[in-house]
Amino acid sequence: MAVYRRGYQRYDGPTTSHFARLMVMPRFSWERILGQRFVVILLVVSLFWPMLCAGFIYLSNHSELWQGFGGGIKKFLAINGNFFSIFMNVQSTFALILASVAGPGLIAPDLANNALPLYFSRPLTRWDYILSRMIVLLGILSLVTILPGMLLFGMQASIAGGDWFVHNWFLGTGIFIGFTLYIAMISLVAMASSAYVKWRVVAGALVLAFFFLLAGAAEMVNSIFRVDWASALNPTYAINAVWKGLLDVEIADDKPGAWECATVILGLSGGLLALLARKLRAVEVVK
Amino acid sequence: MSAPEIVFDNVSKFYGEVLGVNRVDLHIPPGITSLVGPNGSGKTTLMNLMTGLIHPNAGVIQVRGISPYAPEKLMRILGYATQYDAGPRGATGYEFVHTGLVLFGFPKAECERRAWQAIERVGLTAAAKRKVAGYSKGMRQRIRLAQAIAHDPEVLILDEPLNGLDPLVRAETIALFRDYAAGGRHVILSSHVLQEVDVFSDQVILIANGMIVAEGQIKSVREEIHEHPSQFLLHCRDASRVASLLFAEPHISEIKLAPEGAGLLVLTRNREAFAAALERIALSGIDIDGVIPTDENVDALYEYLIGGGK
Amino acid sequence: MTPYQQIWTIARLELGRVFFSKRSFWVYILAIFPSIIFLGHALEAGLKKRNWSADRVTSAATLNQVQTGMTDDQVLALAGKPISDVTRKRRIRRDDEDPDAEKQPEVRRYVMYFDGKKRVDLRFEDGKLVARNTHELMNFEDDRRVYATMFQFFYLRLGIFFGCLGIFINLFRGEMLDRSLHFWFLAPVKREVLLLGKYLAGLIAASLIFGTGALLSFLAMALPHDPTEVAAFWQTIGPGHAFWYVAAAGLGCVGYGSVFLAAGLLLRNPILPAIVMLIWESINGFLPDVMQKLSVLHYLQSLCPVPVPLPNDMPAVLKMLLAPAAPSSIPVAVLGLLAVTALVLFAAMQSVKRLEINYGTE
Repeated sequence: MAVYRRGYQRYDGPTTSHFARLMVMPRFSWERILGQRFVVILLVVSLFWPMLCAGFIYLSNHSELWQGFGGGIKKFLAINGNFFSIFMNVQSTFALILASVAGPGLIAPDLANNALPLYFSRPLTRWDYILSRMIVLLGILSLVTILPGMLLFGMQASIAGGDWFVHNWFLGTGIFIGFTLYIAMISLVAMASSAYVKWRVVAGALVLAFFFLLAGAAEMVNSIFRVDWASALNPTYAINAVWKGLLDVEIADDKPGAWECATVILGLSGGLLALLARKLRAVEVVK
Repeated sequence: MSAPEIVFDNVSKFYGEVLGVNRVDLHIPPGITSLVGPNGSGKTTLMNLMTGLIHPNAGVIQVRGISPYAPEKLMRILGYATQYDAGPRGATGYEFVHTGLVLFGFPKAECERRAWQAIERVGLTAAAKRKVAGYSKGMRQRIRLAQAIAHDPEVLILDEPLNGLDPLVRAETIALFRDYAAGGRHVILSSHVLQEVDVFSDQVILIANGMIVAEGQIKSVREEIHEHPSQFLLHCRDASRVASLLFAEPHISEIKLAPEGAGLLVLTRNREAFAAALERIALSGIDIDGVIPTDENVDALYEYLIGGGK
Repeated sequence: MTPYQQIWTIARLELGRVFFSKRSFWVYILAIFPSIIFLGHALEAGLKKRNWSADRVTSAATLNQVQTGMTDDQVLALAGKPISDVTRKRRIRRDDEDPDAEKQPEVRRYVMYFDGKKRVDLRFEDGKLVARNTHELMNFEDDRRVYATMFQFFYLRLGIFFGCLGIFINLFRGEMLDRSLHFWFLAPVKREVLLLGKYLAGLIAASLIFGTGALLSFLAMALPHDPTEVAAFWQTIGPGHAFWYVAAAGLGCVGYGSVFLAAGLLLRNPILPAIVMLIWESINGFLPDVMQKLSVLHYLQSLCPVPVPLPNDMPAVLKMLLAPAAPSSIPVAVLGLLAVTALVLFAAMQSVKRLEINYGTE
């Protein structure tokens, strides 16, 4: 009989980097999400508005096409913060629907099938898990937000020339930062909903309910108390106000400003993160 | 009076493009009947069809003369312990059994009496007030069994009922099945382990890839498979001589020396002719200490009938 | 056991789950949230009145002399010390025509007076009064209009809509996801009876929760107002108003409940029809009369005793678009809703008879 000096030897060869491990889940998730027909349809539909905006930029930069239309048209066709703010507003709706479709499927099945112990028994922390799930949404949602936004900004800068860019570079950073903030916010909402109810389908409804109900509740507080500050509690208004701040667009005088709204969004995100941290544990709960 | 058989008449069930069961014709008499087949062979599909949880794409099913489309009649005579692990959210074992009885319309006191009686029969009295979600796998099996028998049905259908039971409880559960079937009732259960159910079943239905491959008693099933050679182990001192004599017989297809000199492994296509040949050899003065059929056990049968599906 | 007894037994068994499940907590919050806000308003208005009365009250006659165009110093000299005085410097936006031009920040001053009943807000820009708004601190009629707006825009469109979505989808689709629906299917009851039993449970729970919520918030709205004014209201039109608000909430549960129950049965992902319905109900006000009548909301709004006022500053075109279709008469509204519900429930019954237990596909 052979006698072995040691029965088990731990693997001590090279391992992939932390980032590479973090990207394992997004790689599989992207493939799965982009395989859904509804997601693809939504992605295609969401390109119409940026294309329309691109046409608008083209028109705006070719004054010969609208000569003789008077001064009002010039103001109407101006490419400024207001233009990008409207673009972001419309495009954010697609991102929200996309998040409510793609987001809940990221965490709910893991919780419903008690898969978290499997993940957390590997070299992956809870925060890694949350981050990798957020990367999934960042990737998908940036296709309808950051990417078309930056393309439009690039298009305008290239047509309008260097002088325009020097005076308006903040619009580019505004679009990038504004959309990144928005994606982070709706990703957190989608993931927290998904972790809270554990049902993919219901989590999708919860994402929508979160935005609609908070908007309704904020308006209700405003009208009952005869105030305006409660608008900051409406996530859609709040992110819009932040975008307006970043794009140097005027906010109505009596409404909460960009900084107040940014504070509310930060607080909200903190709360959602805390909820995620509480729910994402490698334990099975008996009901 | 209801007809005492469960009848499947040319029943097929497809899940989209995936075959569940195909052209099943069955007449199941009262007694213990085991559905045996590998995972995914269609056992649960058959049971779900019988109970109306799913509906056939073609064919007709009657359970003692009642259609599964009439749950208000069928469920009065039928109890089904499913494989689904979940009970109503937050229910205790007692509530799980009791709630089912309430829907039968029994008076309150009768519901309580029947619930406790069923729980006692499966040996879960001590755990009855605990939440089902906190039960072990074996306990969940037993509480599902209690729920299925609580209204004293004529037909008891059990999906993998012996899974997760310890040996003692397993013996008690089998005794319960026997007791139940003795009164002329149907007990239909599924398993993927033929040996497990062979010992107490009145008949076995072997199913593979959604088709019935055999039904009846194990022994009679084996006897009907003529084309398949039978293997015997011969214990004898003069193995080489016996081998040479047997080779002269036309029905012998293979002879091997058994490991460690235990004798000969003989493969024959005709059991009767083989028996006659052995008799002749023994009468010629050669000692044959024993003849053991080595493939009459259920594993060999299963392997033969279901083959790669296992 | 008759089918009616079975329906009631199923409803009774389900009621506990609907009322006391963890998910119902959010439905309760939705239902009582307006009451909390109205109570908060009552508390806040009382506190403000006490503080401002103690601080400084400027007579209404004096405040009537304040006109736009006056300087801030003139106003302060005339009306005296205000109850609030805030000055903000506002950065001037870059001019697209001349982006390099230096701009001085704009100074805005917000001054607030109180005449014992009304609050007067004054806005000065660069030292000149440009806007003057008056708000009555407590006005029962105003609050009733606010309640009507809240009831139609928050309670019916969002609260009851999402509350019913949560309660009624849970009844079948939720059990599919929990893998416990077979438990009901193995009971000796017709599938149609099971459906009606579950619907009844959802309806009782939702109607009780939202009906009570509507009534509580109505009472909370009336609470801080002058007792004689409130007593007069309760002796005349008050009970009728309260009844119809509660009835509209209950009928909302009847209508939305049946739709979401059917959606949970007919579709694997009932959220998509929910989104469609939410959009349909939201844009309904912009549609022609005939189309408006194809929504649950139209009939519910027809039952509401106070029409929602459109904001004064709303553009005329939008006002025209938003003008609600002529409300249906109460019997038509009630019967219309019940007929639609019966139709939807009938479709759901046909669906539940064919429903199969196939948890693997969920």
